[in-house]
Amino acid sequence: MIDALFRQPNYLAAKKLLDVTVLRHEAIASNLGNVETPNYRRVDVAPGFEVSLRQALAARDPARLASLQPQVAVDTQAIAQRRDGNTVQLENELVRLHQNTVAHTLHSQLITGALLRLRLAITGRPS
Amino acid sequence: MINILPGVESSAAALNAERIRMEVISQNIANVNTTHGPDGKPYQRQQVVFETVLQQQQQQDNPGGLAGSLQAVQVSRIENDPSPPRMLYNPAHPDANAQGMVAMPNINVHSEMVDLISASRAFEANLAVVKNARAMALQALGIGRRG
Repeated sequence: MIDALFRQPNYLAAKKLLDVTVLRHEAIASNLGNVETPNYRRVDVAPGFEVSLRQALAARDPARLASLQPQVAVDTQAIAQRRDGNTVQLENELVRLHQNTVAHTLHSQLITGALLRLRLAITGRPS
Repeated sequence: MINILPGVESSAAALNAERIRMEVISQNIANVNTTHGPDGKPYQRQQVVFETVLQQQQQQDNPGGLAGSLQAVQVSRIENDPSPPRMLYNPAHPDANAQGMVAMPNINVHSEMVDLISASRAFEANLAVVKNARAMALQALGIGRRG
């Protein structure tokens, strides 16, 4: 059926990556909100997601790609550089924030490109 | 309500908390020379204490992942700084004691200014998050549109 149009692995991967940028934005918002909270530990998208996305892409399995669930987890690698035990570094978070916004733009344009190509294939007109 | 601006609840809570912190700091600076409060004692420095709050909605979406939940911030309490007052020799002052010493508030204007700048930088960082959330939402609304 028509669902098959939207089950190309690259399209599904771009969709998942777009979801991840939104989730990471929420994590960064949480980190920057708690930049002055004692003993706060920074959160980020769980690193396991990237590995499972890569495996699912290598297997070219749409069902596995669609079932991936990115999660937010406490960043255990971050070391507190302040006396209050807070592991957030303002500059790093701001750099991540802007990187993430650019990544969001990239992924949404990839999706737009995929949809426009489908429309071109259906209508035969580039509009 | 649909959540179209990602992470905006934590940012709004943080903006609110930082604004309260700036208000308390400005109150401290305003009272740097107040030697006689309503209780007859010199003004005592106030400080805000921040604490994290787990976001309710995230909890429902993700009941098992308590450690991984996103957190907002709130002002848990505003406390008196218990450090002793600054003693200043000024026998002509109406609040001077028998030795001619006046108890001044335990406020250091310089450290208050440093706190004020750090609060205002944190405020700006959270505003940047909101601006980026808006850019991302507009970008997402434009998916599938040409140009």
